[in-house]
Amino acid sequence: MLKKNGLLKELVTNRLLFLMLLPALIFFLINSYVPMVGVYYAFTRFDFNTSLFNSQFVGLDNFKFLWQSGVLARLTLNTIGYNIVFILLGNVLAIALAILLSELRLQWFKKLTQSIMFLPYFVSFVILSVIVYNIFNYESGFLNSTLKSFGMESVDVYNTPWVWIFLIIIFYLWKNIGYSMVIYLASITGISEEYYEAAKIDGANIFQRIWYITVPMLKTTFVMLLLFALGSIMKGQFDLFYQLIGNNGVLYNTTDILDTYVYRSLKVTFDIGMSTAAGLYQSLFGFVLIMTVNYIIKKINDEYALF
Amino acid sequence: MTKKAAKAVSMLLSIIVFITVLAACGSNNNNGGSNSGATNAPKETEGTTTEETGEKPGIDTSKKVELQFYMLGDAPKDIASIQEQVNKMALEDLNATVKFNYTSWTDWDQKYKLLLGSGQQVDLIFTAEWTQYQSYAKKGAFQPLDEILPVAAPTLNSYVPADMWEAVKIDGKIFTVPATYKEYVTNGFVWREDLREKYNLPKPVDVATFEQYLEGIKKNEPTMTPLSMNSDVKTNLMDVYKSIAHTPIGALPYGIEVDYKTPSDVTSYWGSDAQKEDLVTMKRWQDNGYMVKNVLAVKDTLQDQVTSGRAAALLGDNPTRFNDMVIKIQATHPDWKLGYHPFPLTNGIATPVHPIHNGFAIPASSKNAERALAFYEKMVTDKRYNLLTQYGVEGKNYEIKDGYYSMIGDSNSNGFAREGMNGWAWRNPEYMLFDKNYDGVKAIFDELDKIQTPDKFTGFAEDYTAYQAERAALEQVEKQYLFPLNAGLVKNVEDGLATFMEKANQAGLEKIQAEYTKQWLAYVADQGIK
Amino acid sequence: MKIKDDSYMKWFRLIAFVVILGATVLCLFPFLLIISASFTQNDAIIKDGYHLIPTVFSFEGYATVFRFPKQVLTAYGVTTMTTIIGTTLGLFFMTMAGYVLQRKDFKYRNFFAFMIYFTTLFGGGLVPWYILITKYLKLTDKLEVLILPGLMTPFLIILMKNFIRSAVPDEVIESAKIDGANDFTIYSRIVLQLSMPGIATVGLFLALHYWNDWFTSSLFINDTTKYQLQYYLYNVINAMSFVAQMGSGTGVSLGDMPTESTKMAMSVIVTGPILFLYPFVQRYFVKGLTIGAVKG
Repeated sequence: MLKKNGLLKELVTNRLLFLMLLPALIFFLINSYVPMVGVYYAFTRFDFNTSLFNSQFVGLDNFKFLWQSGVLARLTLNTIGYNIVFILLGNVLAIALAILLSELRLQWFKKLTQSIMFLPYFVSFVILSVIVYNIFNYESGFLNSTLKSFGMESVDVYNTPWVWIFLIIIFYLWKNIGYSMVIYLASITGISEEYYEAAKIDGANIFQRIWYITVPMLKTTFVMLLLFALGSIMKGQFDLFYQLIGNNGVLYNTTDILDTYVYRSLKVTFDIGMSTAAGLYQSLFGFVLIMTVNYIIKKINDEYALF
Repeated sequence: MTKKAAKAVSMLLSIIVFITVLAACGSNNNNGGSNSGATNAPKETEGTTTEETGEKPGIDTSKKVELQFYMLGDAPKDIASIQEQVNKMALEDLNATVKFNYTSWTDWDQKYKLLLGSGQQVDLIFTAEWTQYQSYAKKGAFQPLDEILPVAAPTLNSYVPADMWEAVKIDGKIFTVPATYKEYVTNGFVWREDLREKYNLPKPVDVATFEQYLEGIKKNEPTMTPLSMNSDVKTNLMDVYKSIAHTPIGALPYGIEVDYKTPSDVTSYWGSDAQKEDLVTMKRWQDNGYMVKNVLAVKDTLQDQVTSGRAAALLGDNPTRFNDMVIKIQATHPDWKLGYHPFPLTNGIATPVHPIHNGFAIPASSKNAERALAFYEKMVTDKRYNLLTQYGVEGKNYEIKDGYYSMIGDSNSNGFAREGMNGWAWRNPEYMLFDKNYDGVKAIFDELDKIQTPDKFTGFAEDYTAYQAERAALEQVEKQYLFPLNAGLVKNVEDGLATFMEKANQAGLEKIQAEYTKQWLAYVADQGIK
Repeated sequence: MKIKDDSYMKWFRLIAFVVILGATVLCLFPFLLIISASFTQNDAIIKDGYHLIPTVFSFEGYATVFRFPKQVLTAYGVTTMTTIIGTTLGLFFMTMAGYVLQRKDFKYRNFFAFMIYFTTLFGGGLVPWYILITKYLKLTDKLEVLILPGLMTPFLIILMKNFIRSAVPDEVIESAKIDGANDFTIYSRIVLQLSMPGIATVGLFLALHYWNDWFTSSLFINDTTKYQLQYYLYNVINAMSFVAQMGSGTGVSLGDMPTESTKMAMSVIVTGPILFLYPFVQRYFVKGLTIGAVKG
């Protein structure tokens, strides 16, 4: 009773706010929540002749293929490992570049370089993989031609698994840095000039101003990007791995992630039950992780929490 | 937070449950009316104006319907006007109109699955062994046609030979209308004849002579890659190699081997001495530089590598595509020549495509099965429909010169190329028109016709329900451990093979093989295949 | 004091200049390769690989993409229209949602934020969503389907919320309230103006999302006149690489097309708009512009 009054009262006093939020709520209700019934596919055997809820219930059968080959642990570790590096390096670099860029004076240079750094975002991984092959292939690659002309021995990059850990990270950063940099640039723009003026008067040099004003002001943005990235830590970057590695089984030990594994395993059959099961595993993992992290963040500082 | 979060989660869950219930009710409603028109026997009175256009269909055409027709690939540019003309005829003949939908090649396999799995209205859809016809049919994605064929499409029923109807049956039922045009997609060696002559190399007719040719190219043309290959070393390398080095009944999955001559002897190729020997050969090819070292990362098409002059041979390609390459090279490098040797001339297995290779089925979701079938009958057997949907409008898109098909204009200006609707399935040999360029292919087909043998494998429909988890896991193991072996990249073949077998067995290979063997033997016994 | 600062500043600017220049070159180099390859003859690419200067100059890649110029232009039109409408609508809804979610006096803001965020964690997968759109919303072949599903993303809403949070001080809202402004007026008069850098960023991302979208077309559009640009171009490429994917067993023969150079030409073509859009967005990334504008 009391609760209801609370909600009702809130609805009345903030009716305009509710109204303004309504489009977003309706959107997610229809576009995201309604299809969530499909989660049930993970527990049934797909059948063309009957509806989802009349299909045969098979328990956890659809999850079996995940651990059948004994690679689930490795895949999970690979996926998380890469994502953690992506998150940390990606954000640190983006912040660094955004700060440097924001301090530059030459306007035309600033604008031009910003645009150019965004270019890689438009290069699809299909095309990136072609370029990478062109640089690193054994017989005629750019790298080996150069090495040969210096009288050095050729290196076989495509059969050397450990190199790809670095290559994958480098190309991820190359492609995405421009995108996340924009977010930080916008955040820096939002910082009031008054803080800097005050700091200058107090005698803070440029490094101190960056460290004590700019960086702390970017914390909210960073935490938000972090939380989003953590929630999907078991997913993501499928194209990067799939296009760069593809059929090259030699490299799988260090470069196979859950998404590529699931894709390859189900490519021919496209089994709806099994692919939903894999998605559910990824979701649950992210869910548990995000609830924990958000809880910790909330304990430290309520401001930064996502919800 | 815990309390709050718990509240939030429980509220969310209840919303989901609520929606679930709603959706469940909705989908239950959709369940009932799958197929009703079957009992409405010939009672056609409405469409009397159509009387004079020949035999009237033995089905109820009183209600006008729009048929959803799905084909793979891209629609030709002129599809709208062709559809309009077809509809004019179909409306008169069957009181139906059709909408030609195309999936495009982008993610076509995923869309194919969605079209069949989502229950949306699809009345006719293309089927082939490479679209997994057998599995889909077995799982109930298509409607059985046995009963409605004589009623809705009597002409088509008698036009397609009985043995072809028999061949497409899955579990004793017909689920697709097979194409009757006979062609061969068997492989054959492709090589640069001009280089072979120049360096006086042997003509490749078997693995030994092919290898000599590769060796000769390696020695004499150091900048060329002797063998064109790309990362799909299973389909493009091993399956093809096996089909000339041995005499398999087909490209069987899971490392199972059945010889063409003894269909009921099933052995495991994986882990066998024969496989070890083949892998040693692959390693030799790799070590000698016949294939590029990073073959597992190559994405170029096999044909492009040859026509651009980078590679000097293709392990295997079918006559039609060989012909395409010849045409291209004539235009770009008239001084080059290509040679071709079909495998069947060496191993005697000249199997024309199985009737399953091209067909059209009626999905389970269709509510207009009879009309769809009657319409498809028109597409195949009615010359007006057939020519229009295969070649476009005569005089506008094509003309007939000396009995040959000739395109008007070029592929940029012409909005409907030959077989522009990808009408492989409704080809009618009686009406078919060929390009003059195609004579080369026909000559090869004629040669193969002389030694023709039946396809004993494609009719088999595997049911992997019992081992689908193992199957998915094995798929991974194969790519990770067998592909490098296939590409000849593993230093010690014996150890590499042992590792692969260990991982494969861990993934459940034995269970898969045992189950597959059981099904296969039952099929062989049932069909009396010898 | 001032002198010391300046000497630091000089060094700092120099370092910044060098680092940024280096990063720019790294980003530019592969792109130059792509541009060069798009002007190279296909056979030459396959035979000799990629070079900074075309080995055999040719327009064939572009010629293939523009084989049917009318179709390309139509696709361009569809994409431009969906991008403009989608971005405008989406921005409107998302700025409102972001504003509401950051209002401290809005009691259920955490619950709703969680509800929106939750959709990034769990999804029913492709099939139920496909059924929803084709069977229940019946959006197949409608232009709406290219706009509606991409209207909002949780990420952009929360990002918007954060931008507004940091750009609009609570006191500004409080004082406006005291002046008798209602929530929507505050939003439209004050919040929107103060958070322009944020709006520009979110708008850019949303526009890119629409611009790069091919998946929606792929699933829900059969009518070739409603293809999005990216999907149209994808089809050109995929039709070509279909031969490579399938074994020889299909017997499908496709016309002769320059695969590699076409891919590269396509990449150049889709990147074009950023050269127009991005400088427009950059205008809002100038420090101190916005606060002053409102206060003054």
